[in-house]
Amino acid sequence: MKSKAELLAWAKNILAKGPTAPPHELLQLRPGADATAASDAFMKLARVAHPDLHRNSLTETEFDQVVLAYSRVAGAYQELRTARNRPHTTQPPFGAPPSPPSPPSNAAVPPAGPSSMNNKALVYFRKAELALNQGELRNAILQLKMAIAADPQAAFLRAALAEVEAELARMKPQ
Amino acid sequence: MSVALGIDLGTTNSAAAIATPTGVEFILGPRGERVHPSVVAFPNSGGVVVGGDAKRYRLSEPQHVIHSAKRFIGQNFRAPMVQLAMTGVRYQIVEGANQQPMVVVRDRQLTMPEISSNVLLHLKRCAERQLGTQIKDAVITVPANFTDGQRQATKEAGRLAGLDVMRLINEPTAAALAYGFGREKQQIICVYDFGGGTFDVSILRLDGEVFEVLASEGDFFLGGDDLDRAIAEVLAAECNRVLRIDPRPHPALMMKLMMGAEAIKCHLSQEDEAEGEIDGLDLPGASKPGQLPFQITRKQFEELTSGYINRTIEVTRQVMVAAGVDVRAVSEVLCVGGSTRIPFVRQRLAEMFRKPPNTALNPDEVVSQGAAIQAGSLLGTLHGGTGMGARDAVATAGHSMLGGGGNVVLPSHQAKRPVLMDVNPATLAIHTAGGFTERLLDKNAPIPIERTRVFSTSRDNQTRVEIDCCRGEQRRYADNEPLGTLVLDDLPPKPRGELKIEVSFRVDADGILHVRASDQTSGQQQEAHLQVIGAPTVGEQG
Repeated sequence: MKSKAELLAWAKNILAKGPTAPPHELLQLRPGADATAASDAFMKLARVAHPDLHRNSLTETEFDQVVLAYSRVAGAYQELRTARNRPHTTQPPFGAPPSPPSPPSNAAVPPAGPSSMNNKALVYFRKAELALNQGELRNAILQLKMAIAADPQAAFLRAALAEVEAELARMKPQ
Repeated sequence: MSVALGIDLGTTNSAAAIATPTGVEFILGPRGERVHPSVVAFPNSGGVVVGGDAKRYRLSEPQHVIHSAKRFIGQNFRAPMVQLAMTGVRYQIVEGANQQPMVVVRDRQLTMPEISSNVLLHLKRCAERQLGTQIKDAVITVPANFTDGQRQATKEAGRLAGLDVMRLINEPTAAALAYGFGREKQQIICVYDFGGGTFDVSILRLDGEVFEVLASEGDFFLGGDDLDRAIAEVLAAECNRVLRIDPRPHPALMMKLMMGAEAIKCHLSQEDEAEGEIDGLDLPGASKPGQLPFQITRKQFEELTSGYINRTIEVTRQVMVAAGVDVRAVSEVLCVGGSTRIPFVRQRLAEMFRKPPNTALNPDEVVSQGAAIQAGSLLGTLHGGTGMGARDAVATAGHSMLGGGGNVVLPSHQAKRPVLMDVNPATLAIHTAGGFTERLLDKNAPIPIERTRVFSTSRDNQTRVEIDCCRGEQRRYADNEPLGTLVLDDLPPKPRGELKIEVSFRVDADGILHVRASDQTSGQQQEAHLQVIGAPTVGEQG
């Protein structure tokens, strides 16, 4: 893609395929191409078609077309690079859960403790621990509340919060 | 000759620079300083004071000194993070329209973009005075983990300051650009950006002029301020023990201790021990100001702050996994942000990467250098000399090569434009019934990006569809951060599954999300756009 005309022809061609075209088509690959092929194709394209390279040589409409075409190819690249993780052919409707990995109702209860919460909650929990070590009870309470917001299901966090709040209440009368 | 400003709008300090044919020129403040405190004061004497001068009012009228606005900009007032950050400031913040946090100064309410626009306007004016030319275009840097709302609000701040914000770029990416532009090398680097208020870490692959971000991670509420607070807590305990006064209920006293703590922290980056006294303490009930002696060793400081430092190392490990890169593959670790001056931070990085980090760049200036290079590139005025100069930047006060009347001769050779391939900072998804999410855009996908998926209705004769959008990696909708809801109404009644609704998620080069939903079945394509909670409302945007 050396010339402006070639770039615009490429963008027009991509946009003509529509927003839901199969990803390999947008990257000009064979069906079934793997993640490495997708990565190579996308990097090769980025070197010549990245919109920043053409910002000053195109009209506003032409530039918008190149940006949109590039964005769609980037979306296709994302799809191919993670294709193994999930099928992209199923289109779950609003109202039906997409193959929920719901455990049987008599599934074992996860062990209570910091390891049972999600990562985001764990980060806040660690911050709360840090605050507690430094005697900042109020800060610890806020961090715990944030942890609960991140993982409302973790009973462990609620217990910890109750404990710290009780601690604060004990300190107040002094 | 038009000039574009590269601006590093920081939590505690800001910096600005422009790319010149021979290097990067820094914008200097009224006293010749390159670093401009991100502080805006509305003193009783009237007017608006910005930068170093505004800091002087911190003790006399702290309720009128607005600092750390970056911790609130574009956030939802009700977010726990915001509530926590509010405990660390002495000015008043209330909830405004669209759940925006608003600063109360006397009888006025100001939005966070309005506060930040004062800092940007200050930088713009300094630049115009220094370069002798009008400035319109700018590139502003933001933390890599900034959300849509925060990015939109930062752009809004630029607009309010009379700037045309050509691009928002991520701070670690800007630092990588300052380091790598003009080198034409192939390598993988890690940018460790530990600033005053935020922590970011990015892994990039440099290949000639291409800067590809492989992965980016961060903690928006972790910075040098937290380390100051850790020391201030020790000082507070000392105060209680020695002077028999608990300073924690006295904000003015705590502020003084925080300022002392910051000075002690900086001292301990050079020396093994800090010993002295904090004087001028207005102790409640005392007739004259008191003094607090202190003695803190570097070892004690490291113990106090190791929790925070360990957290940054933990995030760095996470990002290496996300990038699929081994520590041995990283050929350079760039230290960015003032907190990387702490020897313990450098030591931990050296342990992790098994080589000393690169500390040759000025950690306070490298981000604005990168922003300046990107600004020059987008304007098409970048030259080969800029890259070399970026590493040996010389500030030439008052007599710029680009200013002074326009008789400037530029070298004939144009530099190869850098290609910045940044990434989407968080997974973006929609709510499907049953309480789960369906991902549209992945974290660390290249931007700009667009992805469209077709969904359908779940009930017969459903005429209304609500599309809840969220940000986060969790499978359950409720565990993620809600962004807003898109509504398509008056759909033609059809049996379930027959209606085709296209949902498009697009993240532009600024990292800002645009969501569109349209009904494909009825000939009339109705569309809806998303208004992100906490962001400036659509009417306010330019």
